[in-house]
This record gives sequence, structure tokens and C-alpha cells, in this order.
Amino acid sequence: MDKLAKQLRADAALIDVQVSDELERRITASLHGLSPEGQEPPTIRQRPAAFWWASSLTGVAAALIVIAVINSQSRLDEAPTRAPEISPIAVLTTPIIDWKTESAMLTSPLRKELEDLQADIKKAEQKVKEDIGL
Amino acid sequence: MIDEQQLIDAAKAGSAEAFADLVKLYRVRLLRFLLTRCASFADAEDALQDTLIAAYRYLHSYDSRWRFSTWLYRIAIRNAQKIRSENIVELGDLSDEESDPLLQCIVASESENLWVSARRVLNDDVFAATWLRYAEDMSINDISKALDRSASWTKVNLLRARKALDSELNRQSSGSEAYG
Repeated sequence: MDKLAKQLRADAALIDVQVSDELERRITASLHGLSPEGQEPPTIRQRPAAFWWASSLTGVAAALIVIAVINSQSRLDEAPTRAPEISPIAVLTTPIIDWKTESAMLTSPLRKELEDLQADIKKAEQKVKEDIGL
Repeated sequence: MIDEQQLIDAAKAGSAEAFADLVKLYRVRLLRFLLTRCASFADAEDALQDTLIAAYRYLHSYDSRWRFSTWLYRIAIRNAQKIRSENIVELGDLSDEESDPLLQCIVASESENLWVSARRVLNDDVFAATWLRYAEDMSINDISKALDRSASWTKVNLLRARKALDSELNRQSSGSEAYG
């Protein structure tokens, strides 16, 4: 090692630094609440099977109690049910379509045509009768 | 005794204790280096804390082909730059001993500490390269990786730094002889 390298190394060692207790605490506290990225989160500890049975049974029992309470209350509060009455105002305000009028309007030209044809036939029949002398 | 690689593997697997042990190996060295690059002791401490937090957080991305120290120093350099850019204070402004954290931590000696001269005559990246070479014994390749520079840049600038520091050393020697 040459003189310069030796001197640089020696002078670097003369830089006297210490990590203070406060900094140490700060670093530890910062790292404490940190988890490395890309690492799987810690798995939840497996609970004993009896725990699941107990919680399931408790849930079922609670559901049965709720159903029973609702049923008993609905029997007490039960009132005779009546069909809802139709309001006369509602009947009056309902628009009524006159289907017959509409159909008559639609068929009236045909009927007139038919009547005209029937009249023509009658006239022709009358003419024939006159011609043959009846 | 557990070696560094075992500690890294354990820390990668999620052991906070292993990482804490790993930190103990580097924290003083890192703080000393950061002190040369920050405007105050508090900034250097903040930079160290940020470096260790970032290292722990991104440990999964650490490539074991690199030396762990190289990877750590790279993070430290970035954090020091970030803190300096936030504070705006330039190292050149620290002319008196009271405000210069590096001068405060140097043990009194007969001649000026060469690192103080180095900081005066070298720019930031060349100073960092010189530090990593002579104070940390890093190879040219590791320094290039830590500074994100080419190997040729590192070689050339280390050579220039040597020349500049040699002349500083000679100046100091001739000065002390003149006094003697």
C-alpha cells in the first residue's frame, strides 16, 4: 500500500462517530413496524378444531332463538287480514276505451258498400221479373 | 459464528433479528460515510435511518451477486443526495468548524485530515469513489455499481483524485517542514 492510501485509511479512522442511543432506538422503532416487501404476510395461527365446533353450535343456537322469538311475536301481533278495497275514485279515473265505436267506425264504409250492392241486386231482380212478365 | 451471507438469507426470510445483526456490522461505517456527504450530523443520522429502512424494505430485491456493502452504499448515496436536495445547503457553505459535522467528528491531529482536503478539491462523486476505494477497500467494479457509473469513469476519476490528493499531501508535508 502506498503512502497516500495509508494516509487516507488512517485519516478515515480518525473520523470518530458513534451511533447514539437515541438513533439506535429510532432505527429499531422504524424497523419494528415494517415488514419487507415481497414477503408473504404472516399466516394466522391455526385454532383447535373444538373452537370451530363451539362457534358453529353457538351460531346455530342463536339463529334458532331468533326464529323462535320472531314467530312468537308474529302470532301475538297477528290481525285479521282483509282484502284492500278498491277506491271508487280509481275506477272513475281509469280511462275506458270504446272498442265498439271504434270497430263501427272502421267497418262503416264496408257496410254501406254491402247495402249498395244489396240494393243493386234488388233492382236487377226487379228488372228481370218485369222482363219475363212476372 | 454466523457469517454475513447467513444473516442476509435469514433477514430475507423475514428475520428482523438477523437484519438487526446485519445493521450492526455497517451502521458506524455508513454513518461515517454519510457524515462526509451531509450538511449536518442530524441529516447524516436521518440518511442512515432512511438507508436502513429502505434496505430492510427492499431486501427481497438484493442480488447476491453484488456485495452487500455495495448495495447498502448505493442506497446510502441516494438517500444523502435526497436529503441534501431537500435542504439545499451545499457542503461548500460549511466553512467553519462549528457548522461542519465532519470537522466536529475528526480527532485532533497535527495536519489537516486528508478527507477534509479531499472534500475541498474533489467533486461529490469523485469524493465518494475515493472514499469507497480507500476507506472501504472496494473494488473498481463495486464502486462503479455503487455510484452507477462505468468502470472506466471510476478508474479515470480515481487516478485524478490520487493526483489531486498527492499534491495536497505534498503541500501539507512541505508546510509542516517549513514550520519545523
